[in-house]
Amino acid sequence: MSDLDLRATSSTGLPATGAAQVSLVDILDRLLGTGVVLAGDVTISLAGVDLVDIRLNALITSVRADMRRQGWGAP
Amino acid sequence: MSGTGRYLFAVARDLRVAELTGTQGFHGTPIDVVERDGLSAVVCDVDLGEFGEEPLTRNLEDLTWVERVARTHNDVVWRVAAAATCAPLRLVTVCADDDSVRAKVDSLRTELENVLDRIEGRQEWSVKVLVPQGAAVEAEPAATPTSGTDYLRRKREAAERRRDLSDEAVRAAREVHDVGHAHAVASRQLAPQDPRLTGRTETMILNAAYLVEAGEHEVFTTALRAAAEQHPSVTVEVEGPWPAYSFAVLG
Repeated sequence: MSDLDLRATSSTGLPATGAAQVSLVDILDRLLGTGVVLAGDVTISLAGVDLVDIRLNALITSVRADMRRQGWGAP
Repeated sequence: MSGTGRYLFAVARDLRVAELTGTQGFHGTPIDVVERDGLSAVVCDVDLGEFGEEPLTRNLEDLTWVERVARTHNDVVWRVAAAATCAPLRLVTVCADDDSVRAKVDSLRTELENVLDRIEGRQEWSVKVLVPQGAAVEAEPAATPTSGTDYLRRKREAAERRRDLSDEAVRAAREVHDVGHAHAVASRQLAPQDPRLTGRTETMILNAAYLVEAGEHEVFTTALRAAAEQHPSVTVEVEGPWPAYSFAVLG
C-alpha cells in the first residue's frame, strides 16, 4: 500500500465539478485564512474582515461544545 | 439594512467570459462580471437582508449557512479559475454597487496585478502529513511486568519509542515539505486542522499549500510519492489542483 494518498481533482486542469468533493474544513482553511482581502462596504462597517475570523472562531468553539455534549470526547 | 449588494467572488485577468455561462451565485442568482481596465470582478447580487451587517453577524454563527455560502463561493471561484487567471476573494466581501466594486479594484490595482502575475499559469496543491493516533501505544508490549524494575524499564522504553515515533513524524513532515517546496514556486503553511473539525483520528502535523506550475504537477506529485515511501509511519495526502487561494494574499 502506498503511503501517498493522492486525490487529484483533475490531471490537467480545474474542472467545474472539481470543487464538489472538497471537505468544508479544507474550503474554510482557504476562504477565511487566505485569498484577497478587500474591505467591502458591508464588512468594513463591521470593523474589517477580522470579524469573520472572530465569528468563525466562535462557531468552531460552539461546534466543539456540541461534539463534547454528543460524546466526541473532551479536548 | 435592506436592498441589494454585490458579493465579490474573485478578481480575474484575461477572463473568457463565455465559459462562465450558466454559473450561479447564491439562491440561483446568475453571476455578473464587472470590468475595470482589463480586470474582471466576478460578482452576484445578494439580498442585504441576508448579507447586510446585522444578518451577517447572525448568519456567521450558523454552520449550515456558512457551509452553503462557502461551497457556493468555492464553486464559483473554481469555475473562474478554469476560465482565467483568478485571484479569489476572502469569504463574504460585499460591496454596495458596481461603482463601489470598480473603486475597490482601482484602489488595489497594483497589488491585484502583482498577485495575478504571481499565480498566472500556476495552481495550488494541498499537502498534509498525518500521524496515526495510537501508533506509540500499539508499539508497547502487552505482557505483564515481572518486577518493579521491569515495569520502570518498560515505561522508559515506551517513552523512548513514543519520542522516536514523534521525532520520525517531525522528520517526515520536514522532508515532505522540503520536497514540495523544491518543486514549487512558492509554499505556505496553514494551521494543522483540528481532528474535532475533520472528524479524523490522526494528528495532522503538516498542512501546507504549494504553488506549482500548471505543467509541472506530475513531477511534483511523483517527488512527493517518493518522499512518502521513505516514511511509512505517516500518511501523506496530496490534493489538487486548487485555485491559488493561498497565494492570492495582497502585499
